[in-house]
Amino acid sequence: MIRRRNHLALGVLAFLAALWLVSGAALAMHPDEILRDPALEARARSIGKELRCLVCQNESIDDSEADLAHDLRVIVRQRLVAGDTDEQVKQYIVARYGNYVLLRPPFDLETYLLWLGPLALLLAGGAAAFAYYRRNTENLDVRPLSDEESRRLDALVGDDAAGSSQ
Amino acid sequence: MIKGQAVVAEIGLFALILALLVSAVQSVVPLVGAQRGETALMNVDRPAAFAQFCLVSISFGALVWLHVTSDFSVLNVVNNSHTDKPLLYKITGVWGNHEGSMMLWTMILVIYGMAVSVFGSNLPPGLRARALSVQGMIGFGFMLFILLTSNPFIRVDPAPLNGNGLNPLLQDPGLAFHPPFLYLGYVGFSMAFSFAIAALIEGRVDAAWARWVRPWTLVAWCALTLGVAMGSWWSYYTLGWGGYWAWDPVENASLMPWLAGTALLHSSIVVEKRDTLKSWTIFLAIVTFSLSLLGTFLVRSGILTSVHSFANDPARGTFILTLLATVTGGSFALYAFRAPKLKGGGLFTLVSREGGLLFNNVVLSVAACTVLLGTLYPLFVDALGLGKISVGPPYFNRVMIPLMVPLFILVSIGPFFSWKRGDWREALMRLRFAAVVTAITVIATLVAAGLSSHSLAAALGLGLGAWLIVGSATEWAGRVRLFRTPLADSLRRSIHMPRAAWGMTISHFGVGVVLIGVAGSMAWQTEQLQIMHPGDSLTIAGYEIEFMGVQENVAGPNYVSTRAKFIESRDGHFIAELTPERRMYTNPPQPLSTVAIHTNFVSDIYAVLGDADGRGGYVAHVYHTPLVPWLWVGAIIMVFGGLVSLTDRHHRVGAPLRRLAPRTVQSTRAAGGAGPSATAATKPQAASGWSYMLPLVGFVVLAGFFIVRLYLVEQGDTPDLIPSVMVNRPAPQFDLPPLLASGHEFKTADLHGKVTLVNFFASWCIPCRVEHPMLSQVVMAGIPIVGINYKDAPGDATNWLNELGDPYSNIAVDAKGRTGIDFGVYGVPESYLIDKNGMIRYKQIGPLTQDVIAKVIVPLARKLNK
Repeated sequence: MIRRRNHLALGVLAFLAALWLVSGAALAMHPDEILRDPALEARARSIGKELRCLVCQNESIDDSEADLAHDLRVIVRQRLVAGDTDEQVKQYIVARYGNYVLLRPPFDLETYLLWLGPLALLLAGGAAAFAYYRRNTENLDVRPLSDEESRRLDALVGDDAAGSSQ
Repeated sequence: MIKGQAVVAEIGLFALILALLVSAVQSVVPLVGAQRGETALMNVDRPAAFAQFCLVSISFGALVWLHVTSDFSVLNVVNNSHTDKPLLYKITGVWGNHEGSMMLWTMILVIYGMAVSVFGSNLPPGLRARALSVQGMIGFGFMLFILLTSNPFIRVDPAPLNGNGLNPLLQDPGLAFHPPFLYLGYVGFSMAFSFAIAALIEGRVDAAWARWVRPWTLVAWCALTLGVAMGSWWSYYTLGWGGYWAWDPVENASLMPWLAGTALLHSSIVVEKRDTLKSWTIFLAIVTFSLSLLGTFLVRSGILTSVHSFANDPARGTFILTLLATVTGGSFALYAFRAPKLKGGGLFTLVSREGGLLFNNVVLSVAACTVLLGTLYPLFVDALGLGKISVGPPYFNRVMIPLMVPLFILVSIGPFFSWKRGDWREALMRLRFAAVVTAITVIATLVAAGLSSHSLAAALGLGLGAWLIVGSATEWAGRVRLFRTPLADSLRRSIHMPRAAWGMTISHFGVGVVLIGVAGSMAWQTEQLQIMHPGDSLTIAGYEIEFMGVQENVAGPNYVSTRAKFIESRDGHFIAELTPERRMYTNPPQPLSTVAIHTNFVSDIYAVLGDADGRGGYVAHVYHTPLVPWLWVGAIIMVFGGLVSLTDRHHRVGAPLRRLAPRTVQSTRAAGGAGPSATAATKPQAASGWSYMLPLVGFVVLAGFFIVRLYLVEQGDTPDLIPSVMVNRPAPQFDLPPLLASGHEFKTADLHGKVTLVNFFASWCIPCRVEHPMLSQVVMAGIPIVGINYKDAPGDATNWLNELGDPYSNIAVDAKGRTGIDFGVYGVPESYLIDKNGMIRYKQIGPLTQDVIAKVIVPLARKLNK
């Protein structure tokens, strides 16, 4: 029963989160967030697109209207102004929320399969296609003509062809 | 309630039950007949399909009627409709909800079944009977699903006076017609699937089979292409972020069958023309339809949550999973058993039309697998207890682009290869003009845009687009011998060119146009975000956008809106008026912003109206997106190509009658004649027979994983919880002011020396209210609680405490939420148990419950206190 209740409350949370999402053409960014320096702002944007809004489904903090996303956008800009590199800014957020915030997961033990999977599939698919092709060609029963067959062929094609083959 | 109307729901339900019974008959009798060779039993198939069509039409019609007449004695209408709603959305609202969308699915399925029955008189009776049997089974599964878990005809008593209305996001022409096309595509692939299963049962696949499957695959492909494009267009013009594809799980769910279906479309050409790649094509037919079902499962089950899933429910998920397991698992088992017997016929070298199409299939299949991998990977990692990760757009872009580029290059070359043995040198010679145009495009792009990672990507995309457009035009020019014979002759050749060839040329041309749209919009989108007062203007990409002001309280049919007016001009010349709105819908009361777009077919100006700043200004967000209209135009060209191909007399459904007869004879003669060589071919196949088991094994693993996952969801596991990385780390540095005058400031050092529970709360948070009574239990267990009031107004917080009581030993104020972020808070309430050394030992996300307090917090605190 208690679990249910917990569930209910989370359901309410999820519902509220969903309300943010379905309010249509949302204005995520606010003009006062934008940095004066266009180069720094461009960096902030590209970082923002790689960080996940934690309370939304599959939205980056740049695309999200959620309050937390706003706070994170502000932090990203503060860190950039303070002189952090792009990587340091991301690490700052990761230190607090874990790899979950990275929309592009890092290449590590957990994600080898994710990153290498497509390449492995491509190689396997290529190999399978090639094997199929080879098998198909090998099945072709290619033997030199027997004497009897050559004689018949010569007879059919005529002397010209026979002459040129000699 | 009027008596006459009251019966409509019952008629609908009754018709659906009857249809279920008919589908049961249809799935068994013709199949048994075909196995035993009894014509009378086989001939049940067509009348059964016809009866199913009539019954489901009655049922679906009843549901539409109930929605149109707003019969609020039916729960489905109450939940999704309202008398205020415009008629169009009353109708489209039928499939804007789960039950109705499943009804639409079934309706489309029986339409396809009916089509087989009508056009199938010239099909081999065995094949037709078996295929319709399989269609019957699918229909049976879906109707049972509707009747058991998603009955749209349930009554409510007493009937409310009005309904709850439809989510305003769905009250949009783009989304209203997007599901029917998507389903027309998804379900259309059931035709290829049914024929594939029938062929497996029968143990034979030949050109006649492929000729039958091709047009249906084409129909499904056209519909799905249009459905996906419409979904993407909808997301572009309603969601207001200026983008059109977010690699969202639901978008991916429609992309996977599209990729597999595109592969199927191409491989079935090889079966038809060259009688080879048979078992592979059968496999693709199974996979494509399975991916369509998987898409439905993922969207409907709650296994993945996404922006687009408006309805999900684990009980339904279980049913769809069972359905998926039966359909896919059963087919793969049949495949493992029968596919080794399907012999490939025609031989070819790697550089040949077949080789090119095989390459197309490898790449498209790997692409579909990659999308599946990326979509499900977070679930796998989570299930294995490795934590939570996200796989978002940056991953997909990084992996899919390099994968697809070689395919796009080959799209232009492949058609120049002849069947069996092609000559790549000759093909490239003929494409030299296209190569020159591509090179010029790339160089011109780099010169014009300067050298940067953006312009390199743009140059690549535009270059590929040019390569495809000029390449397919060259292919056409070659066919009609343009400029090599008099123009009149070219025209005559053009007219007599097979429609299928036209279709290929047009569709490939369309792909090129799409690529240009993607490249331009990805590389060169610019935006301006400003607070604007009436009379202000901004400049974007050389356009002047002047804000004229807003008009309040503009009445719509079921909303009131604030409408802004912007004037777009260039060099003082008026171009267009843009009127983005912020609407407040009445039923249900929900806000919705609408975007204003002005396109000149080269680029879009896209304006969104934001909040008022309270001082007469409004936030305005304006995007300039070059070439994005090409994306939609390109998609329409692709679909048009598919439709043209469909008019080819080869593909005309029902047309094969005359041409099929000699062909079948020919192929059987060939099969008979090639007896010895066929037996010779069986030998090496036996060694690789196990490879036909692979799909089944893979599917069993996947299904097992889904079962565990669904079980956890039903047990109340919420996939949304994100485990904290802060546990077993020192609490972050902070120094916060007190909330109450009686309190004191609170800083990290205060945590040393005693076990403390730090609780983040806010008066605006509903679950915090649920949690509040539990806090006193923690205090009673001797654990002091420090409250951190998160992003709250001080007055609200004190009122809240006065109302509910103050269990905290001290309350600090985190007005900006920065300390919350340092703790890793992502939503209140969250609580942290901190040990004597100031280390975080446990984090509770969401409200504390009796269970958590008794089983986790108190025992852990006792242990830490020792």
